[in-house]
Amino acid sequence: MKLDSVTLAILGNKLAAVSEEMCLTLQRTGRTLYVKETADFACALAGLDGRFFAYPRSIGVSGFVGLECLPAIEAVGPLEPGDVILTNDPYRSEGLSTHLPDLHMIEPYFHEGRIVAYGWCFVHCSDVGGRVPSSISPVNTEIFQEGLRIPPVKLMKRGEMVPEVRLFLDANSRTPDANMGDIRAMLAALSAGRRRLEQTIAQHGAETVAAAATDLVTYAAEKARAVLRRVPEGRYSFSDYLDDDAATHLPVRIALAATFSDGTVHLDFTGTDPQVATAMNIPSRGRPHAWLTLRVLALVNTLDPTTPLNAGLLDPVRITAPEGSLVNPQEPAATGVRHAAAIRVNDVLNGAFGKALPEVMPAAASGTVIPVVMAEPDGRGGRRVQVVEPMIGGTGARFGHDGVDGRDSGISNLANNPVETVEAELGVEILTYALRPDSGGAGRWRGGCGMELTFRVLTDDTNVLGRGMERLVFRPWGANGGKPGATAELTVNRGRPDERRLGKIDVLTVNAGDTVTFLTPGAGGWGDPATRDPEAVRRDVENGFVTPRGALDDYGVVIANGEIDPDATRRQRATIVASNADTAQGPERTRWDSVFSAPEMDRLNRALVGMPGAIRQRRRREILDMVLAPLPEHFPRVEASEEAVTLARRKLGEAIAQL
Amino acid sequence: MTIMQKGGARIGIDVGGTFTDFVLSDPRDDSLAYYKEPSTPDDPSRALIEGLRSLLDKTGLAAGDVATIMHGTTIGLNAIIQRRGATIALIVTRGYRDILEIARSRMPSSFDFHASKEAPLVPRYRIVEIDARLSADGRTTLEPDAAELDRVASELRALKVDAAALVLINGYTDPAVETALAARLSEKTDGLSISSAAAIWPEIREYERTLVACLNAYIQPLMQHYFTGLKHGLERDGVTAPILITASNGGSLSLSSAAERPVETILSGPASGVMAAARLAAEAGVTSIITFDMGGTSSDIAVAHAGEAELATRTDIGGLPLVLPVVDVSAIGAGGGSVVWVDDHDVLHVGPRSAGAMPGPVSYGRGGTEPAVTDCYLALGYIDPAGFLGGRMQLDRDAAETALADIGARIGLGGADAAARTAEGALAVTTAGMATELYKTLAARGLDPATFALVPFGGAGPTHANLLAEEVGIGRVVIPPAAGTFCALGGAAADLRRDFVRSLRRPLDEKSAALLQEIFTELAAEGSTWLDREGGNTTGRRIERGVDMRYAGQAYELRVALPEHTVSVEAIAEAFHREHERIYGFRDTQTAVELGTARLAMVGETTKLARQRIAGGSGSPVPRGVRALFRKGGWLEAAVFGREALGAGDVISGPAIIEQDDTTTILLPGWCARVDIAGNLHLERTAT
Repeated sequence: MKLDSVTLAILGNKLAAVSEEMCLTLQRTGRTLYVKETADFACALAGLDGRFFAYPRSIGVSGFVGLECLPAIEAVGPLEPGDVILTNDPYRSEGLSTHLPDLHMIEPYFHEGRIVAYGWCFVHCSDVGGRVPSSISPVNTEIFQEGLRIPPVKLMKRGEMVPEVRLFLDANSRTPDANMGDIRAMLAALSAGRRRLEQTIAQHGAETVAAAATDLVTYAAEKARAVLRRVPEGRYSFSDYLDDDAATHLPVRIALAATFSDGTVHLDFTGTDPQVATAMNIPSRGRPHAWLTLRVLALVNTLDPTTPLNAGLLDPVRITAPEGSLVNPQEPAATGVRHAAAIRVNDVLNGAFGKALPEVMPAAASGTVIPVVMAEPDGRGGRRVQVVEPMIGGTGARFGHDGVDGRDSGISNLANNPVETVEAELGVEILTYALRPDSGGAGRWRGGCGMELTFRVLTDDTNVLGRGMERLVFRPWGANGGKPGATAELTVNRGRPDERRLGKIDVLTVNAGDTVTFLTPGAGGWGDPATRDPEAVRRDVENGFVTPRGALDDYGVVIANGEIDPDATRRQRATIVASNADTAQGPERTRWDSVFSAPEMDRLNRALVGMPGAIRQRRRREILDMVLAPLPEHFPRVEASEEAVTLARRKLGEAIAQL
Repeated sequence: MTIMQKGGARIGIDVGGTFTDFVLSDPRDDSLAYYKEPSTPDDPSRALIEGLRSLLDKTGLAAGDVATIMHGTTIGLNAIIQRRGATIALIVTRGYRDILEIARSRMPSSFDFHASKEAPLVPRYRIVEIDARLSADGRTTLEPDAAELDRVASELRALKVDAAALVLINGYTDPAVETALAARLSEKTDGLSISSAAAIWPEIREYERTLVACLNAYIQPLMQHYFTGLKHGLERDGVTAPILITASNGGSLSLSSAAERPVETILSGPASGVMAAARLAAEAGVTSIITFDMGGTSSDIAVAHAGEAELATRTDIGGLPLVLPVVDVSAIGAGGGSVVWVDDHDVLHVGPRSAGAMPGPVSYGRGGTEPAVTDCYLALGYIDPAGFLGGRMQLDRDAAETALADIGARIGLGGADAAARTAEGALAVTTAGMATELYKTLAARGLDPATFALVPFGGAGPTHANLLAEEVGIGRVVIPPAAGTFCALGGAAADLRRDFVRSLRRPLDEKSAALLQEIFTELAAEGSTWLDREGGNTTGRRIERGVDMRYAGQAYELRVALPEHTVSVEAIAEAFHREHERIYGFRDTQTAVELGTARLAMVGETTKLARQRIAGGSGSPVPRGVRALFRKGGWLEAAVFGREALGAGDVISGPAIIEQDDTTTILLPGWCARVDIAGNLHLERTAT
């Protein structure tokens, strides 16, 4: 590093603050809900290599610190002061943008005629056209359905907006005014960054600031390596499934082998399913992309919170993401809901890292974000559409600590809606918004409880949407002997004669008087439940996180009249069995693996990924449909006979052999 | 004329962690007297009573000469932060037992998977559900029958709690429902004190409202006990003057109001300081100020215009959001006790850890081994080791220098002046950190710091203010007299003040505008009734009206002040457009405007404090000595002045040091200081 300790500390602070001030400017001047309420935006400063050297810590989307601006910068050719690049195309920006509603902008910052840094920002805008309003639908099959693709172009030339670009933008959005409002807020943020960087250069000199930009990245890389050096060397494998790809009932596999060696980590996603014909693909371009490395950032930041946030954090990370797979799709794969797959990628990294660092990593979090949306007739022929609650679960237990009940920061960390504001705006009565007892995976430390949302609909012909429902089949797994959390459930008119238990829904139509109950999954437990302090179990029962029945069945703790019965507990605890590698992911996964074993799936996916795009998806569907044919309809939620399993396994083996 | 005929003496008292500060406004000669008594944390009222006795002796006044006592306390705040409040229960609509566990469902950090959520004020087993509920339009849709009331009452009795809070979903639509229910339950539980959320704060948003009620119940037993003890103690000394308690909104309440709603007083300490700064600056002709309160563990800023501090309606109390209006104070970083340290990669850091009062900075000689910001001041010659706290505490400069030199050795700062160079580096890091936080705080409100004056107070505020002003490009610093005893002064001057709200949530049209006026009339009547009961010597009353508004479809609301005659739809809309434009830079006349929460503050104005006048000076005062001051890598000779010896009109050029009992002011080269008639020091940049 070139700078002295004091100067580096000062500039580290100031440059990070520049990016945060850009965010505050963007948030203050932005127009739309995404900016104001959910803070789905970010700003940063990039060096001449297009990588971020300063990134905000406390505002905006935290995970995009690993994005790279250089491909977009190179795509537009020479830049002049006042030029601003705009792009939203995952393929042509090479993964800077990862779905079309994210508008990314880059402004070169000049000092004495030379570029010294780039200001960057992005906003999730309201709509960029495409098949559905708001542009995102899980069942889009190609990026062409997802809206206007903006390759890297100059939106601004020497401080003036290019009229032709604006015409294209306005003509291709359902909300051109709101978009332009957000674009203006982004330009304001980029100017704020430019002014503050100029001021910093005036105070400290251009050379010092340039040195800080590289030193800060080096410093972060050193810190990241120091953290990764604490991980025992070795290769750690883990796989997990999404229940389905939103269009078929076929599960989607994400597999990872993480190799830690001398302060570096190699993430190898070989064995992950081919890209899907829906919008869950993560356009990483095979790089250590933000969406594939969130858990690495979190690991470094958790173990050393003083690490500055910048591209250096990813210097020790190498990636193998097979081209044509879910985690590195080929054009024109749709990518609109890539965050749905990213949640599971996060889980898989967590699982692999947990094998190396069992006392650091938690068990699986609930791993689902469901914006429960109601669309009720507004009496004028249209529908009033609003989010009832964004439903999440809890966090996984870890060594020494129970998981957090009913909160999960994993990927979005969104705030919920006050029930009273929902009831003031929609014809709905929210009967229960609560934690879900016994849903947290049992363990020496208990997984966080999932949640319950029950509401009574007050208007006929109301639509309820539950996109993002996951973990109805494959459970949030336990760790180190801990049990998995409960699966998600959806019930209409629970406890009434006309009760209906439903699986995953896209759109559900209900009438006045009907009640709808969403139960979100619980998080995984950590450690053998039979070793949990009986007093902790008693407290959980007293507080209602665990029922007396749950205490008995899951923990072997016998509680009578609020007191522990020590003798009965001792006897009961002898019957409690800790989970192992085969059972920690739940019985559904055990059943699934009895047919689709990890080595076979690795072989299958290796073979499939090598095939041309269109054939790849069709072949996979054909093979899985054929293998599943002898198994019961709701497999793996229900048990299959041994013969059926044997037959299915043989069919899979044969299919792979033929590929 | 007797002193009581002149209105009597007003006394402001602020109980801090180390000292209990007193300010007495004496109407005989319009003077202010200051006094400090070591605090008695086990029973804060002891220091208060003893200190008051000494203060009266010192000023030659009798107990009967006291007209009003204004008192601020942090007992409630500390109890919340340390979770040492009362054992309380929460009664809540069935289906909402987890209202505190779920909160707004966010984690404090999305990047630290070891982060945890805040400990709830009420554990789940002490939360009792009840079959009672309203609809969004104010109808009672679920009413508990006698059996249900008995069941809830018997559960409450079994829990053996000191107090309880009550919240019903949509209770804000008709506070009378909750009030009646609370009374019935209290009757059935031997008079258990039950804080009704809707009665205290009828604003939409059930979680935040629940917290208001829970916080109130949580600190109420403690505060009532303290207030009773204090009142009796003072009465034994013959002090029968009304006691007013300062509030978080910068105003004050009667003792009985504060005992009923202690939640309104939680943040009164910092609020009082800001109010004092705002008032003094306004009197000195300085309109827009940023207050800078630097204490032991942290530094806080707030913004005030024309004597009025900006209020916030969402603050954080030990991890819990508070929606009552409070003076908007933001933490910007290090305090005097913040620790200077070096990480494994040899990069220098300051804070966020604080050495606190124990062991404190190395120079305190209480076993601290890590240097703190105060040690840096010593090593740089900013403060006199023999003059700390008016000489009551000797500091060890050598120890500070040794510890700093050790740090310096690790980051390549050895040789001559290693300690001073390290200290200067650490202060540069500290100041840059404060400056960036200050920029961000102002950027979020669309304000430019360069258009403000900085008004420092607190033990280290005046010491650090010039450094901070220089870093952020502020050209003026105003240092009030007795900057260390500031919160007591703010209390002594506080008006009586209480805020009232009502949620409206409807589009702005002729009908809702008329309804708004009706609500203001009701709230004003409520406010008048309250003020009548408060007693005290108010000289006039004032009403402040406002309403939260938004463009239809927006997710956020903006607080807009409505002057008295802003009644028409057009005028109300225009007030909103204008505010929206000021804060967010645009107006939208195409979209409908919606009314959210109506707000009204009832203010009982109190006698203005004496405006202190100091004697004229010679213009160029004679220093009482010189001290070497380290600046930009070398030692400068700085003249040292005693603050008390300065007269109005005196001018001092930097570098200089101005000392007073409770703090030291550093004047940098390129700046000069002018003393005004009220004793304020005005620091101004002379060179660029």
